Amino acid sequence: MSDELIMEAVKNGNLQQASLLFDRFHKRIFNFLARMTGDREVAEDLTQNVFLRLLKYRHTYNPEMKFQSWIYQMARNAFADHYQKIKQQKPAYMEVEKLEENLPDLQEALEQEETEKRLIRALAKLPDDYRELLVLTRFQHLKYEEVAGFLNMTVSNVKVKVHRAIGQLRENYFELENS
Amino acid sequence: MNKEQWESRIIDYLDGQLSETEKAEVERELVSNDEFRKLHNQLSEVMQVMRNVPVLEPSGKLKVAFERALQSEIAAQTKTKTVFFSPVVYRIAAGFVLLMAGLGIGYWINKDQVQERELAELKEQVETNRRLMMAMLDNQQSASQRMVGVSVANELEQADDEIVKVLVKTMNEDANSNVRLAALEALGKFSNETQVRESLIQSLSIQKDPVVQIALIQLLVTMKEKGVVKQLEQMTKDARTMKAVKDEAYAGILKLS
Repeated sequence: MSDELIMEAVKNGNLQQASLLFDRFHKRIFNFLARMTGDREVAEDLTQNVFLRLLKYRHTYNPEMKFQSWIYQMARNAFADHYQKIKQQKPAYMEVEKLEENLPDLQEALEQEETEKRLIRALAKLPDDYRELLVLTRFQHLKYEEVAGFLNMTVSNVKVKVHRAIGQLRENYFELENS
Repeated sequence: MNKEQWESRIIDYLDGQLSETEKAEVERELVSNDEFRKLHNQLSEVMQVMRNVPVLEPSGKLKVAFERALQSEIAAQTKTKTVFFSPVVYRIAAGFVLLMAGLGIGYWINKDQVQERELAELKEQVETNRRLMMAMLDNQQSASQRMVGVSVANELEQADDEIVKVLVKTMNEDANSNVRLAALEALGKFSNETQVRESLIQSLSIQKDPVVQIALIQLLVTMKEKGVVKQLEQMTKDARTMKAVKDEAYAGILKLS
């Protein structure tokens, strides 16, 4: 059954079906948020928050919209809220090295290879919008068309920005090699 | 071609997106141009590492927590009433119910000294509860406390100016979109009051979160608020408005006009 049909059933009161959507999407949403925040624990909290939102605001779901777009939109909002909260609490700390600070934990836990560690560090140095585009298209393998849908951008604009992001990632990555 | 264009061409090459002619052109450069080859090798390495980054596994806690939340949502649905964060909500809401009952009884028998004293005590208790609710709404550190505050407000039969003001502020300015959405829902209950109607209409041009925008449009349509058609039209023309929001705005215009 399609995600959209399941969500429509949830919207119409068949709440148990939400379990199916959780099984299909929670890992993807968790990975998206983990790569955006660089912090597994925060990512789990935010993922939980996204699915609670799904339940609470089920009546606002528009069946003509792709479910995937809707849930990614909620995940982006959850990340934006989190980002804003951190910024209010620690204004000076957020701007520059926010992700790198959190990274050692994540990396040790994962026992990543050296190259992967370097890539994650290079990714953390990108502006949020570039990092988001790379996480969505290169880590999560979403199509440019899908991403364009919920980022409210044209497909060609997505492509241009993804290419620029890869270019900048390459620079960061090889800068770290030499440092 | 400048460097950025070359870079983009190489990425398309590595993604397998080029025509035969373009591919041949890239391969010619690869053989003859050292700088170009270096760029190609670096991009290829970065893209390869990105492909190999492992998928992270969330802990089992996540599924357990979700199932628990789902079951309580289902239980709440069968009671046809959603009350979060009880028993605080019950306690405070009960306080307000007591006020209404107390006032009613008080007016009937207000000459009786004993009753008057009891009424005064009751009023004081309600005032305490009310202050507690306001303090929760004002808690900048904790979104969940503010959420409880909004849920309490949502239980009220009537809201005074001060409560409406706080709810409007929360709806428009709260850092957490769940809290904003809950405040909107609470205000929806008092939408027959002029002040609330005006605030909701005004909020339409302030909101940027698409989920809140959609809920707001739906509410204004239910309220049959014809005055907002112009604003909705503007939203449909604004390039920054998300497609789903535009769709809702179109639907709203259709229903209202």
